[in-house]
Amino acid sequence: MKYVIVGVHLRREDVEPLAVPLPCRGSDPEGLWLSGIEVPDDQPLSDRDLLIRTATARAALLERATFIAIRYGFAAHSEREVATKTAPHVDRWRKLLEAYRGEVEMTLKIAAAHPMARPVRGDFSSGTEYLTALHAASTSAEADPLFRAAVDEALRPLAVSSRWIHRDNSSIELAILLPREKVEELRVAGESLKQAFPRVPFLLSGPWPLEVFADADHE
Amino acid sequence: MTMPEPTDDLSLLETLDHLLDRGVVISGEAVISIGDVDLLYLGLNIVLANVDAIIRTANRR
Repeated sequence: MKYVIVGVHLRREDVEPLAVPLPCRGSDPEGLWLSGIEVPDDQPLSDRDLLIRTATARAALLERATFIAIRYGFAAHSEREVATKTAPHVDRWRKLLEAYRGEVEMTLKIAAAHPMARPVRGDFSSGTEYLTALHAASTSAEADPLFRAAVDEALRPLAVSSRWIHRDNSSIELAILLPREKVEELRVAGESLKQAFPRVPFLLSGPWPLEVFADADHE
Repeated sequence: MTMPEPTDDLSLLETLDHLLDRGVVISGEAVISIGDVDLLYLGLNIVLANVDAIIRTANRR
């Protein structure tokens, strides 16, 4: 059997019985807990049912308490393996979990006002040139400036923290960290934006666990 | 880019998008899959959700 790891949690009771609690301690005397989903060794991580099962567990765990999301793909065969691979991160994770215990993430995905065409591999002589062009296309998407200003005015004041993120060539995202009790207020503000900008395609989703705000690459 | 009204399918799509493309990456773990087979297991700092994710990660290093 192996464990597909879903997230990092402050307390064991945040995990049980929704997932298998796996200790990760590092140099932290109290330690943290990872949530694992037990699956047979021969079940590939790309298995559709496993993906859905993991997504379902993720949602249930977030309802219980805020946790740090581990990107899908980390699987381990024993508690010892989990502990070894996560030990370097434990101190940083504890600080995040304690700081953001009452917060969740929301995501506002906005269609780019003028989406860049996605590069075609055949137009480039080398893979490096192609990847560079792909990256340029994915970082140049911008939202309608009027809509973006309205978002800054309506949504960002509700946030503890927020970050604009480029993810692909056709959209831009705002990651919003906010207290759980303000999620509904944010949704209402999102509905108001929909009324005010009926022609701007956007999607407000969440709540999500700590994803962008726990990712060292986004700091 | 079209943005349909929220539905259960859309909710699932968003959830899978977050599962595959967001969150903390544990160093040394990466699985590339096609269909139902995990093809490669790489000692990298990235999980390959899609090529855009690879590029973003590479450019931040």
